[in-house]
Amino acid sequence: MTGATFLRGFRAMAPLWLGVVPFGVAYAVVARAAGLSALETQALSLLVFAGSAQFSAAGLFGRGAGGAEIVVTTFLLNVRHVLYGLALAPSIRLPWRRRLAAAFLLTDEAFGVVASSRERSFPFLLGCELSLFVTWNISTAAGVALGAAIPDPVQLGVDFVFPLAFLALLVPLLRTRVELAVAVSAGGASWLVSRVEPGGIPIVVAGVLGAALGALLTREQPPPPAVDPESARREVA
Amino acid sequence: MTFWLTVAGMVAVTFGSRLAGLSLQRPLPEAALRFLHFVPIAVFAALVAPSLAGFQGEGEARIAAAALAALAAWRTRQLWVAIAVGMAVFWLLRIPF
Repeated sequence: MTGATFLRGFRAMAPLWLGVVPFGVAYAVVARAAGLSALETQALSLLVFAGSAQFSAAGLFGRGAGGAEIVVTTFLLNVRHVLYGLALAPSIRLPWRRRLAAAFLLTDEAFGVVASSRERSFPFLLGCELSLFVTWNISTAAGVALGAAIPDPVQLGVDFVFPLAFLALLVPLLRTRVELAVAVSAGGASWLVSRVEPGGIPIVVAGVLGAALGALLTREQPPPPAVDPESARREVA
Repeated sequence: MTFWLTVAGMVAVTFGSRLAGLSLQRPLPEAALRFLHFVPIAVFAALVAPSLAGFQGEGEARIAAAALAALAAWRTRQLWVAIAVGMAVFWLLRIPF
């Protein structure tokens, strides 16, 4: 019975594999181009397991950012996971050991699918989560293999994949004028700060200032829904 | 060594956030929700801007390619299409005439 529920969760994520695979491959190619080894690229997928944060970390490593800046940026990007846990906890009872496993593997996608389905159980949640974990890590490995086949990355200008990848992640998030204003301000601030201070500082400064600006400009509006399965499903691991 | 220390920090803040939500019982303040909503937007934009300047004085090719990639991302919402369009334009513009 438990096994069947687990498998149902695993299969419930199948429609998302199509989106995860190219994303995982792109992450690995970007990370390799940033100078991470094959082992380091895979380790991030196995241990951190958070797509947008892994992308940012690869970009930051490539810019020669310090560890503290990378950890702070990761925190800023991933602290939203608190919301998913808060939304799931009341409906799924998790004893300590199961809670550790469920937390380690929690992603936007798994949350989105579980939140929008009627099944609320640990085996179903774990099935969803592991489904993405396996797919993400296999596609990372595929991207590492593909990256090794690119002959001379610097000569080809492969480093340009960084801004393109972040642009492609950014554009679908821009739906309101405030969101556009935040993107433009953060981009401008980061560009200005990077004139005097290379590495990861500009990203942390512009990230905090930009998000604060957005919060300030929308302070009269109701807060964005913490539980928005549709957008959680669309966004990245 | 620095790399693995950084990874340990990344794991701590990521796993910590995921575990905190499953363990906490009270919702976050509204101001925090608004702030979090804009974090990915601000961070991704901050990562794009300085990389567009580039080196070897090819900033114009990069900005043109990025503009078309953004258009492709907006129309298709596909990561791969945007990267492919951007790289294709970038390579075309780099061919010396």
